[in-house]
Amino acid sequence: MAQVLVLGLINGGIYAIFALGVVLVYRGTGVLTFAQGEIGTFGLYVAYFVTVKIGAPWLVGAAVALLVTLAIGAAFEFLLVRRMVRADAVSTAVLTVGLGLFLLAIELYSFGASPRDLPPPVTGGIRIADIIVTPTQIAALVIALALGFGLQSVLRRTDFGLGILAAAQDPEAVRLVGIPLSRITVTLWSAGAALSGLAALLVQPTVGTITPGYASELFVVGLAAAVIGGLTSLPGAVYGGVVLGIAESAGTRYLDGLGIPNLRYVVVLVVLLAALLGRSLWPELRQRLAGPAAREVTA
Amino acid sequence: MTAPTATQVGDRRPLRGLPVPGLLVALVLAAAVPPLAGSTSLLSNANALLLCQGAGFAIAALSLNLLMGYAGQVSLGQFAFVGIGAFTTGIVTGVNDLRMPWLVGVLAAAVTGALLAFLVGLPALRLRGLYLAVVTISVAYVASQSLFRVEWIGGGSAGKVIPRPYVGARSFADNASYLSLALVALTLVWAIDRQVTRSRLGRAFQAVKADELVAASFGIDVAATKLLAFTIAGAMAGVGGAIYATSFGTVTGDTFDYSKSLGLVVIVVVGGLGSRAGVVVAAFATVLLPEVLIGVFGSGLRGVDLVINAALLMATVAFNPQGMAGAVRHAREKRLQRKGGEAPLPPTRPNLPTLSRLSGAPLPRTPRPGVAVLEVAGVDVRFGGLQAVDGGALRVDRGTIVGLMGPNGAGKTTLFNAITGALTPDSGRITFLGEDVSALPAHLRAARGMGRTFQLIGLAKHQTVYENLLMAQHLGASYGVLGALTGVGPVRAFERELRARADETLEGLGFQRYRDTQVDRLSHGQQRIVEIGCCLVTSPELVMLDEPSAGMSPAAAEDLAATLLDVRDRLRRTVLLIEHNIPLVLGVADELYVMAAGRVIADGEPGEVVTRPEVVRAYLGTEVTA
Repeated sequence: MAQVLVLGLINGGIYAIFALGVVLVYRGTGVLTFAQGEIGTFGLYVAYFVTVKIGAPWLVGAAVALLVTLAIGAAFEFLLVRRMVRADAVSTAVLTVGLGLFLLAIELYSFGASPRDLPPPVTGGIRIADIIVTPTQIAALVIALALGFGLQSVLRRTDFGLGILAAAQDPEAVRLVGIPLSRITVTLWSAGAALSGLAALLVQPTVGTITPGYASELFVVGLAAAVIGGLTSLPGAVYGGVVLGIAESAGTRYLDGLGIPNLRYVVVLVVLLAALLGRSLWPELRQRLAGPAAREVTA
Repeated sequence: MTAPTATQVGDRRPLRGLPVPGLLVALVLAAAVPPLAGSTSLLSNANALLLCQGAGFAIAALSLNLLMGYAGQVSLGQFAFVGIGAFTTGIVTGVNDLRMPWLVGVLAAAVTGALLAFLVGLPALRLRGLYLAVVTISVAYVASQSLFRVEWIGGGSAGKVIPRPYVGARSFADNASYLSLALVALTLVWAIDRQVTRSRLGRAFQAVKADELVAASFGIDVAATKLLAFTIAGAMAGVGGAIYATSFGTVTGDTFDYSKSLGLVVIVVVGGLGSRAGVVVAAFATVLLPEVLIGVFGSGLRGVDLVINAALLMATVAFNPQGMAGAVRHAREKRLQRKGGEAPLPPTRPNLPTLSRLSGAPLPRTPRPGVAVLEVAGVDVRFGGLQAVDGGALRVDRGTIVGLMGPNGAGKTTLFNAITGALTPDSGRITFLGEDVSALPAHLRAARGMGRTFQLIGLAKHQTVYENLLMAQHLGASYGVLGALTGVGPVRAFERELRARADETLEGLGFQRYRDTQVDRLSHGQQRIVEIGCCLVTSPELVMLDEPSAGMSPAAAEDLAATLLDVRDRLRRTVLLIEHNIPLVLGVADELYVMAAGRVIADGEPGEVVTRPEVVRAYLGTEVTA
């Protein structure tokens, strides 16, 4: 039980950081992005290049990787997304699929399909409930919580944050009252991309290697977490990540006897569907349960 | 807001049954050319294999094209259905499994593909837009990582072996002869896809893609239509998987990896959403591109094809949303124009009054004033803390025109939406033709005879005028899925009748010259007239018009008044009319309701109602002390 919780929390922290990137971009621009996972993987290859090929320390590699992911997000917004103002949400989403595939193709071309070793920054860790928890995993959970609740108050309390919230509702009006819309969108895209880079850097030390598409696999869970959390709520993204993390570790622990390979993917799909259906059926259900009396109260 | 997006559809021709001669020629060519080419060394064995895979890929791409290009639903996991088809074929035909004939395997692949898609679609399609994309990615991972790794499905790490087919003594083991089979399959899927997209079903797909609320007002069951699109696409993908897997001989879970699904998105978008030819060409190009690159530039470029594909996808979405097919069409139009082709269309003043005389053959119905067509009682609609409609009540008698006026924000359109089922009120009762329809979804209310227009034009704007008139007659063509798939039975007679009525309506509108004009190229007033035509083409019992004169010229508004009187007196229909144009309302309405701040504040004889002090106050905001 304790093991399930610990494993769930440390994986959940990673999913939450990916989910925060998705929510940040969606909240501010209305675009659902599918590229974040591969941006994260690309960052890992940058870190690999800087540390293993050039021989710099891990921290330098990580810093360069974060900068590169930040730049990818900014360049993507500046060169392509900006031209899509009048397109529908589906087109821009497909554009992000293109970016993900583009980065994946570059990784495959430059580094091949076989795994590359990127040694962890620190070895060892602390033992909690018979599980070795590494410092990066703890950092991931702390960062996820801090960002989830910290960014929320930044959005609510600062002018820039309020500009972001307003931009999501009516970009045209925001432009008219003199808020620099393009600065907001470029910031959000780069922040979203950098968050993916961060999540990938924090989770990779537990496996030690990198393969093309590595972070995309985790990102899919992060995407599900963002959706479960409601897509617009930053704390929701953190809850979604933790819920999925725990569901996944509980599922693999207790349902292992079913003999389904890679059960965690099934668990994620089931939780995602349950959450989505629950949300679409909930208002109906509540009305039916509460009857007319409750309707008066909500008035 | 009408910039071209990646959502336009290519095939705009109506259904006229299967093109039997053309299909036969295509089939003979598909069957005969590969063996001939193979025997003359024009087609190497390796290239024949690539083309076999290309055919499977093309079928899979057609399935995604049906979903994205026509029904507007994004699947980022189509290879889950391709994969299930592939493994089904393996299980049905494999030497260690059922050893049944290949054709049975292909048909079984269609069935399992459809089944899986149905199961996934059932919950997922309750969701709007991109949620479906998120769910399908997750499904793709489950399929390739879990489902296809189950021993009896995927054959374990060795993979599933799918033997090449043979018919009697005739073996299709070598690549050139198998290519014949693969191309025949592609041709047949193409023909069925063509049939579906031009049928009532295809029009419903496109209406749902354009606007779900408008689709429902045409009587289209949006949820069922989406599920059907998903299921048919699943069946096509399953067949694609069978063809694809049989070319390889052995497949594993990795063959149907998640990134393959994304590759399919590249093919469909770059080829051109909605264009069969563009998509099929793109599918073959994707399979051949790596070999061409390596052949021309050397093996150093292995893998560059993926970079090119991804870059092409981004460039297409950002700069050329209609894909290759769109670029070709554009070039052709330009050439036509250089040849001194079509001049720009001159504006036409529509001839609305003749419309109502022409459209349909109304049932002879004696007007019986005093018999309610529509009764609305105690309708409350709240949006958060805002009470948009408060105890909304009105009554519309048969054979009358009832006006509904009120300042902006009074709740008129919200009440309209509650009546048609576009939104569910918090409470209240709606009785239509004596039946309580409060619990019915919008499309069933449309089916019972509620026709409506929308304040912001309820048309599929990327579609032509004619296509909209056909879409609007969804309920008039009552043939089922099987008819739409095959085109046999009474389908052609139904379609002929729909086309006749559409032509008749065009004539009534005086809009024949705009028949094939895309709706968003018309002026706002012209679009409004087309919308009214779409509403009247099915001659619904109750015609509900939301600010029909908005955006019309004064002359057109006069025509509109005459049309409304015709609808009442000649078609013997009933009209409920939201209108700000007071002279128009006073000229036609038998009864007038006035709403303000969510409540009905007055009703009665129109001329008298507009002079009441509370009505004047609602409009002008001050006490009149004259």
